[in-house]
Amino acid sequence: MSQQENKVFDSKITRRDLIKVFGVSAVAATGLFGASEKAYAKSAGHVVILGGGIGGSTFAKYLRFADPDVKITIIEQYPEYITCPRSNDVIVGYHTLDELTFNLDTVKSKYNVNVIIDKVTDADFDKKTVSTAKGQTVSYDKLVVSPGIDFKFEDYEGMSKEIAETKIFHGYKAGPQTLALRKQLLAVPQGGTAIIAPPKNPFRCPPGPYERASFFAEYFQKHNPTAKVIVLDPKDHFTKDVPFKKAWERLYGYKTDNALIEWVSGSEGGGVMGVDADNMTVETMAGTFKADMINLIPNQRAGKLAQKLGLTDASGWCPIDRHSFESTIQKEVYVLGDSTIADAMPKSGYAANSQAKVCAQAVADTLKDRPLGRAIYSNVCYSLAGENYGVSIAAIYEVRDGFIQPKGKSAGVSPITDKPAQPILEAVYQKNWQREFVKDVFS
Amino acid sequence: MKNSIKLKTLLAACSLMAAASAQAEPTMANAQAMAWQCAPCHGTNGQEFKEAMPPLAGMPAQQFIDAMTAYREGTRAAVIMDRVARGFTDDEIKAMAIWFEKQPVKQWDKTSLTESLEAQASAAATGGQK
Repeated sequence: MSQQENKVFDSKITRRDLIKVFGVSAVAATGLFGASEKAYAKSAGHVVILGGGIGGSTFAKYLRFADPDVKITIIEQYPEYITCPRSNDVIVGYHTLDELTFNLDTVKSKYNVNVIIDKVTDADFDKKTVSTAKGQTVSYDKLVVSPGIDFKFEDYEGMSKEIAETKIFHGYKAGPQTLALRKQLLAVPQGGTAIIAPPKNPFRCPPGPYERASFFAEYFQKHNPTAKVIVLDPKDHFTKDVPFKKAWERLYGYKTDNALIEWVSGSEGGGVMGVDADNMTVETMAGTFKADMINLIPNQRAGKLAQKLGLTDASGWCPIDRHSFESTIQKEVYVLGDSTIADAMPKSGYAANSQAKVCAQAVADTLKDRPLGRAIYSNVCYSLAGENYGVSIAAIYEVRDGFIQPKGKSAGVSPITDKPAQPILEAVYQKNWQREFVKDVFS
Repeated sequence: MKNSIKLKTLLAACSLMAAASAQAEPTMANAQAMAWQCAPCHGTNGQEFKEAMPPLAGMPAQQFIDAMTAYREGTRAAVIMDRVARGFTDDEIKAMAIWFEKQPVKQWDKTSLTESLEAQASAAATGGQK
């Protein structure tokens, strides 16, 4: 794609997508007593889900599988949801945000779920009610929270929420952030520098920064071959680092004089201490780096709603019962996805989908006074090291010795082989996964 | 919701079976819980017939068992299924195989909730045995 084409493409997606993200008030709330109200048995119980993203939507669908009669309500702030999975593709133009945008229409109609578009402001765990910005009070028997992540801007000198919205973007919540990074990437001058600064563990989508670095390198290779991406990392290892680095060697001259990617590890002083947004510089132990764009992905903690509701512990994340994902802080409240402490499971969309299914069955069993079954979880993350070069990690998990751990000998990353078919097929499967995953979540 | 009497009977049977085994912690996850985990790639209840990853719904149980066992033992070429299959025992593979065999051979979005609930209840009622 030429620069000119990119420009046209951009103005198209920007206008449509921003209306989509900001035009929230145009959509009225759906009443609690919607058309499907009569479908519920009187004594079946009411499960209220806060957040209609990957965890919340999957949970609603699978709870309906586990209990045909229970009353289910999702309260979600936005009428549309943009998936973080594949949002890296939008930065380099392989996808539009439109293609990553979903709503709860099918979940509502096919699975008899009440959907309320409103912002949750508080919960009263004694009275078992939730209150919203539009003044609704909703009673629950079981509450499910899937609140995502929040950023620790305060970990970096010179960084703030305001700078993250104007100059130094994280691109770790899909939407305007994603488009802002795209705009910056396209504006990098010939021979310029893009910095990607990944966070400390644990964080959402562990391969995300490295897939993004790969995509930036691929973009530069095509459009700006003397430019470079520098990854300033507080860590010495990252997920799938062996197959990623092999791909970087094969595709982007990694560790040569003409490398399109340079990775500075934590031991080498790569951890970011501060930024100067006006001068576009980054301070690390390894020195000061100047760049044309800085993609600082800050350290993270559980989402703001989880903090407000008091569901986090001293670590900043939500402790849960490993068999059910019920909060160990608050009975009858369940927490899903990135905000939870799930041991060996990564903070991925796939993991949230997996946890939602186990949790849905556990909630259904608890409501009916049935014993819980044995929990089984899974995670498969495909990343692209290039448009047609995939790397993956896969594992099945069980609860063993009190922790969620890989089951059998299932855990593993892509092998390094001389067979070109492996990474090509992984890229095909990645695209297959993307289409299928969102169907399992939203339809 | 128009649940058939058949479905309700099956669900009741499942509840009784679950209650009977209430005391001891189950040694393996039930077939449905395992099968649900396959959905992000193979479609809800294995009902994706238009993608590179093969549909699992309606697959003859023996074909599923043979494929998973070969992936696990490394005798069948794999991209990632070898890494996945190594997480399952023979009994778990068999239980999933029987469960998937009972699912409708049609695209998920063409399947009604009632039809799926009946198929899932019917699969659960086998208790993982043919």
